[in-house]
Amino acid sequence: MIESVILWFLAILIAPFFSAVILKVKAFFGGKKGPPLLINYYTLIKLFKKGSVYSNSTTLVFKLGPIISLATAVTVLMFLPIAGYTPIFSFNGDVIFIMYIMGLGRFFTIAAAMDTASPFEGMGAAREAYFPIICEAAMFMILIFFYRLTGELQLASFFTGGNTLGLWNMAGAPLLFIVIAFFIILLTENSRVPVDDPATHLELTMIHEVMVLDHSGPDFGLIELGSFCKLFFYATIISRLILPFDFGVPAFGFALFVLGLFIVYLAIGVTESVIARYRMDKVPQFVLTSFALAFFAIIISLEFIK
Amino acid sequence: MSQFFMAILIIVFGGFLALLLARQAKLMKLIAVFSLSAGCLLGVIDAGTKLMGSDIYTASFSFLRVFSLGFQMDGLSAFFLFAIFLVSLLATLYSFHYMDHAQKPLRVAANYFFFSLLIAAMALVVCSSNIITFMFSWEIMSLSSFFLVIYNYESAENRRAGYLYFVFSHVGAMFIFVAFGIVYGLTGSFDFTAMGSLTETAKYLVFIFSFIGFGSKAGVFPFHVWLPHAHPAAPSHISAVMSGVMIKTGIYGIIRVYSLLDFNTPVFGYIVLVAGVISGVLGVVYALGQQDLKRMLAYSSVENIGVILIGLGIGMVGVSEGNPLMAVLGFAGCFFHILNHSLFKSLLFMGAGMVLHKTGTRSIDALGGLLKNMKITGATFIIGSLAISGLPPFNGFVSEFFIYFGAFKGIALGKTAFVMCIFAIVGLAVIGGLALACFTRVIGVVFQGEPRTSAAVDVNEKGATMLISMLILAGACLIIGVFPGALIYMPMKAVSALGLAYGNIPLEPFYQMTGNITQSAMILFAVVLGVIALRSFFYRGKTIGKSGTWGCGFTQPTAKMQYTGSSYAGSILEFFSAAAPLTVEHSPISGRFPLKTDYKSRINDIAELHMGTLIVRPVLFFFDKLRWIQHGDIHLYIGYILLAIILLLFFI
Repeated sequence: MIESVILWFLAILIAPFFSAVILKVKAFFGGKKGPPLLINYYTLIKLFKKGSVYSNSTTLVFKLGPIISLATAVTVLMFLPIAGYTPIFSFNGDVIFIMYIMGLGRFFTIAAAMDTASPFEGMGAAREAYFPIICEAAMFMILIFFYRLTGELQLASFFTGGNTLGLWNMAGAPLLFIVIAFFIILLTENSRVPVDDPATHLELTMIHEVMVLDHSGPDFGLIELGSFCKLFFYATIISRLILPFDFGVPAFGFALFVLGLFIVYLAIGVTESVIARYRMDKVPQFVLTSFALAFFAIIISLEFIK
Repeated sequence: MSQFFMAILIIVFGGFLALLLARQAKLMKLIAVFSLSAGCLLGVIDAGTKLMGSDIYTASFSFLRVFSLGFQMDGLSAFFLFAIFLVSLLATLYSFHYMDHAQKPLRVAANYFFFSLLIAAMALVVCSSNIITFMFSWEIMSLSSFFLVIYNYESAENRRAGYLYFVFSHVGAMFIFVAFGIVYGLTGSFDFTAMGSLTETAKYLVFIFSFIGFGSKAGVFPFHVWLPHAHPAAPSHISAVMSGVMIKTGIYGIIRVYSLLDFNTPVFGYIVLVAGVISGVLGVVYALGQQDLKRMLAYSSVENIGVILIGLGIGMVGVSEGNPLMAVLGFAGCFFHILNHSLFKSLLFMGAGMVLHKTGTRSIDALGGLLKNMKITGATFIIGSLAISGLPPFNGFVSEFFIYFGAFKGIALGKTAFVMCIFAIVGLAVIGGLALACFTRVIGVVFQGEPRTSAAVDVNEKGATMLISMLILAGACLIIGVFPGALIYMPMKAVSALGLAYGNIPLEPFYQMTGNITQSAMILFAVVLGVIALRSFFYRGKTIGKSGTWGCGFTQPTAKMQYTGSSYAGSILEFFSAAAPLTVEHSPISGRFPLKTDYKSRINDIAELHMGTLIVRPVLFFFDKLRWIQHGDIHLYIGYILLAIILLLFFI
């Protein structure tokens, strides 16, 4: 229990660092030096030191947005098995709870964006409401796959100890599909290229970044921290999926886990560097790919389980 | 059952008194509201206490010496009664200030009269124990709600809605008559229990006919066409009752018939489940495309009926597959959602009613920024939206959690059931996502941002009883969402009354589930409090500025530039354009300096679109050919009568 709490705390602490890895990779591809690896901490500290300016159009919901989005991201991490350790909380069905709690975060992010009366933020909000619908369907497909293998609805039963390795032994080939599908979901849910470009200069083409245009100071810091945590959540799962080995030596396990994280964040960075953002109407097709992959994985797994 | 009949009598008596006292508007309203709510309160208490025990109460009266009016109250009836009386109670309270501005006291009195009949009829429907009683109450229910729908009969749109509702409710009743006619024809008994002794083929027929009949009342796609027209036409407290509980009597009918038939074929489960997924997804897609606030809520009822049917279908599949856990989870989720939906949907309709009352418009794109002046309405509407989107820690999540659990239990089953369960799970996930989009759109456009037209400027929210009703409902949504364990016995009692032969269903495993929900809600609250503390720490002694919204460099933004509801939904609707075709009317721009143009877009409901070509036109064509019978010649009419009598003599 106590080590789960420490891990949870470390996860929140380290999440901004890993997001900076993406920036470094992108800078490398661009032939630049790039910002320091601790850039996100500097940004957060700078934001937390500032005051805020609120739009005259906004209400209390606008201030609730950052609070709920960080709170949901942090709550979700409490249910996540980090590096194969048991999470702080876990119950049968927690996966469904996690997905809906993320929905709650999204609800308030959208509501906060709509609160500003800005046409740009409305546009971002509409997209933020749209793409995750397909993501959610794909996530439930993946969940059906895991349920088919384990008979559980609990993150801990998929990702703690030797469970993940067990999944590979049971159905290795379809699990590969799942990893790819999950990576696509990661890119979509965390507004990365090719779905969204967090670094574009035009507000019209953004999704997540445009929704938080009017947030400033500590509020914006909370949002940033929340999105680092969210990305960390997805990355942890993929890291565990691609390196599921357990050697019984804690230090070794950790090294492996961190290596997995680096691989995931590097992969995101590389994806962002080599692919351009899709046109908005092509994005659903891209996201649907993950749904199709998960669906194929289930069909293939039907053979394995017999 | 005397307490139940007492409640009914008080309610109906209140309605009659309202008619008698129509001239004294104030007194009439006071008495009507008082006696209606007293009756409903009595009914709620009665149903609540009956749900605690597990006795079955019966009563019967002789009617016209030929028929007997039989009543029976078991766990299933008591569960529905609880929802019916609870929502009616709050709707009655709400109506006290809502009917304030009505200039015509007679019409208000008539409204209370039919409202009292509607409540009584709904209560009697779920307590009937034979065909005669059932159809009797059913017809009173349909007719009284018809008169409530045409409350504002001056508007042609409302008259059309009333007409549509009238036709649909009677065609639906005809299907139910067919189903019950089969039962009576084969068994010779009006008693409901006779259904169990039918042959298999007859059971299939009875189920399918009654599913269509009851489905049209419940608003199951494609029989829902009347619903988005009729519900917005009625005054808002009536819409709340109609959407919150009246359509649930259709669900009650389906469940009752299913339980009476006592026939475990998987086909019933599949039919219900597929109908549920289709209604759910299409309902919310159409809701997303609506520009009328109340119409959008009506479509969202179609969606929630879909969710309820998914739960029901999962339960039925569980029964036929011999998986008690899956069956109980599915049914319990279905019942829980019936209760939850009646709470948040009536809450949302009341909120919409407040908006309509104070701004005079139902058009979503004409509103904006209402949250600043309507704090309680806005906050409760947001709570209702969170609940209806199935988000924790509100009650909608609890029922969806149960249904998901039941559906996942089915993943381990054989082929068809497995496919059905995948369908159900993905359907639920898509419905959840779309509902979130749909309700963030309404909140964002109606309650947030800046007023788009003058209708939304300088509004207030006066009307204490309206606010109290909404606050109670919003509180219930939150409390059930956090402590579902306190109410879990209610749906379980209803499940036990289905006669599934599972014996006494142990509550412990479900207490564990609800305990988990409570625990995780508490965690969420704790974290939110922590973040709030952190935030206020960061903001200690900081300067907070006020300024306009950042217009991305544009310095003269106007309220008209805000994102509209139509554009918000645009790209999602495009994805579903096969099921929800968009009609655009747009006068062309001409000249170098075009002055004015207009743009209208409308989402078409494919059921409504094809109803005309597939059903109405063939029927009209057929009856056109029979026109010669109606020639207007009185002699021949008398001849018809004679002919009919002679023909009938052969049958006696």
